[in-house]
Amino acid sequence: MDNSVWLLMLACAVGTFLLRAVPLIWMRRHLVRRSISNTNEAMPVWLTVLAPTMIAAMFGVSLAPAHPGISSWLATLLGGLCTILVWRRTRSLGWPVCIGVLVYGVVVVLLKMIG
Amino acid sequence: MSSVETVKNSPWQQGARDALPLLGGYIPVAISFGLIAVQSGFSALETVLISALIYAGASQFLFIAMVASGAPLWLVLVMTLLINARHLVYGPNIAPYLSNSRWWPVLMHGLTDQIFALAHTRLPQLEEKDRMGWYISAALIAWLSWIVGTAVGAVAGAEITSRWPLLGEVMPFALPALFLVLLAPRFTSVQWTLTMLVSIVAALVLKLMGMTNSAIPLAALCGVSLFYLLQAKLKAEGEIHG
Repeated sequence: MDNSVWLLMLACAVGTFLLRAVPLIWMRRHLVRRSISNTNEAMPVWLTVLAPTMIAAMFGVSLAPAHPGISSWLATLLGGLCTILVWRRTRSLGWPVCIGVLVYGVVVVLLKMIG
Repeated sequence: MSSVETVKNSPWQQGARDALPLLGGYIPVAISFGLIAVQSGFSALETVLISALIYAGASQFLFIAMVASGAPLWLVLVMTLLINARHLVYGPNIAPYLSNSRWWPVLMHGLTDQIFALAHTRLPQLEEKDRMGWYISAALIAWLSWIVGTAVGAVAGAEITSRWPLLGEVMPFALPALFLVLLAPRFTSVQWTLTMLVSIVAALVLKLMGMTNSAIPLAALCGVSLFYLLQAKLKAEGEIHG
């Protein structure tokens, strides 16, 4: 990389960091100004709605397989189903993800063997 | 919230445990990034530094593609920041759970999409004194896995993807599985269920249409709009019946 690309990379890194850090600093000052003991009340409502919808959108984006096809969609469906079933039973974070990935992998392998 | 198990371990151990599922999603993507960056003409060291310093998946792919194609540098900067603009809402959402330590803003370097989703669920369940330890542990594991994955991809990515192609196909399912577990407890009412479903479907459709970078903010805005529409409808019905 020449010097201009190094500078560009540093500018992108600093800019991305500021996008993450500055809003936090702003909100902390906002919360202090309000001086409310239950800080959730000082949060703008739209922001508390936006957070779960952003996570839901991340989930939607991550659902799309890299190579869409019947086998990958079926594996996604069964993997997701098993993930949620294990979550309902364990209410944990690690096991549902492990079992979901395992089922997804088994379905992918089985469908490759069949077809 | 009963979405995840009761926290029994030290915050550092718990952070590490919570971050482990992320590795399934991070490492294969980081290996791909390392491989593509080297093929685009970046050295292994430059590739690793991009991952360590920018640390934002989609924008890193865009960065190397635009630089390699000779795009104007100001445009690369603008596009990188535009893609990462969704991070603007993450910090404020976890701010109520953070102490006044001056280290928190510095630690926001590790606030990726996935760490935000984890932190938004886990931080409210932890005591205030444990939150920084949990966050540093989870964010550090994610960051290091991204850097190590990039290095491996830059040095041996071609060999790995040709030897174990199935690994790269199966492991990324850890991310949707993780998001599903984080979202499951939020389906608490008709209003929230519809809001979540619309956000999920909109994001999936936008992604399949090729709008990868704008899918998350646009789908989230669809969800928020529906939430407020339903709230207005419920309020109007309440006024009629009340």
